[in-house]
Amino acid sequence: MTLRKRVIVCLDVADGSVVKGVRFAGLRAMGDPVALASGYEAAGADEIVFLDVSAALDGRETLLDCVRHTADGLFIPLTVGGGIRSVEDASRALRAGADKIAVNTAAVERPALLTELSAHFGAQCVVASIDARRTRDQWEVFVRGATTPTGRDAITWARECVERGAGEILLTSIDRDGTRAGYDLALTQAVAARVSVPVIASGGAGSAQDVRRVLTETGADAALVAGILHEGGTTVDAIKLELANGNVSVRAAV
Amino acid sequence: MRVTIFDYGAGNLHSLAKALAGDGVSVAVEGDPLIALRTDVLVLPGVGNFRQAAARLTSARAAIRDAIRAGLPTLGVCLGMQLLFDSSTEGPGRGLGVIAGRVSRLAAFRVPHIGWNTVDDARDPLFRAAPLPTAYFANGYACRPEDETLVTAWTTHDRDRFPAVVRAGRTVGVQFHPEKSSIAGVQFVRAFLAGLSA
Repeated sequence: MTLRKRVIVCLDVADGSVVKGVRFAGLRAMGDPVALASGYEAAGADEIVFLDVSAALDGRETLLDCVRHTADGLFIPLTVGGGIRSVEDASRALRAGADKIAVNTAAVERPALLTELSAHFGAQCVVASIDARRTRDQWEVFVRGATTPTGRDAITWARECVERGAGEILLTSIDRDGTRAGYDLALTQAVAARVSVPVIASGGAGSAQDVRRVLTETGADAALVAGILHEGGTTVDAIKLELANGNVSVRAAV
Repeated sequence: MRVTIFDYGAGNLHSLAKALAGDGVSVAVEGDPLIALRTDVLVLPGVGNFRQAAARLTSARAAIRDAIRAGLPTLGVCLGMQLLFDSSTEGPGRGLGVIAGRVSRLAAFRVPHIGWNTVDDARDPLFRAAPLPTAYFANGYACRPEDETLVTAWTTHDRDRFPAVVRAGRTVGVQFHPEKSSIAGVQFVRAFLAGLSA
């Protein structure tokens, strides 16, 4: 057996609560990222990602508290993204208990950030998060929560991120995000074929079958899943079963 | 039992400290390598890069090596395992030289090697107490010991087969992150400590 394909659960966190698309079960538990992250570990998730979507700056401190509490009981990797602009910011997140740092807008604005993070913490710690939208015959990188076009081509930018020290690419299709229409297979394959680091596909998961498709029909190493899990549309177990039945090598749920 | 994690100044030591902190174990994090040696068990953690970590060890290199050779139980995790060796192609600087061999970049298409992989040919006694069929790895480099009989488990990424665990007496190096390998990984760490007091 070889390296397993990963199912990574993403939680959008604002001011210490999970915010987006979370509506089943007890509201208190659902709003608490600490409990949710542990629950997903128990359910067999391979990794957890916290994306800080706080509007206010002091939301960041709240997020670090949240990372601290989560890391107390979490024994799978935790990636933290949102608002990290410097080695110092990254260091604070890592000290709080994050294992990896995801950078998006800050890397586009100052690409040397990727090199600095990689030199300090190692490439395996640095995730370049790229939000891309289809424009005629290519995909364009957008920043600031997918609101601002950059004029950069997603494949070219992904390759630059790797050259500058990113150890993984978290690739989100803006066109598919939240649609449940399935991952953007063409985008994922185009990037995965052109970079030599693991690619995490994101945006559009509507079912376990969608996860299987992106992991069998593209070179992605991992799939990010959020809404369909939080809303109870499927479970980590069901996704892993679908993958195993499709001859995808996965870690058995614990 | 006093367990001391040597802090190179980079990264997350939180989970490793939590994984180590079982009954009767007190865990300290120490940035001064000479003070870190005043312990029952030394832990070399797994985050950062070789050059920076080797630089932090320089002043105490001989003292640490001598202490480990004299029998100080030591657990090296990921980069901490690699530091047990002589040198690395990741960067300049000398490792501790406790285990003869070097560290070199993985021969694989996708590097770093990130994710859960099989722990093969697991013959380390720790696996009897704490089976760990798959573990979480995050490494771009791997150890190449001169004496392969020190390897007590292997793993493979792409075409590259490399040690998952090495052991020299009471010194154990693991390329994976047990503290990120869920409950089974925590049990592996606890088994290492339990084996020392048995």
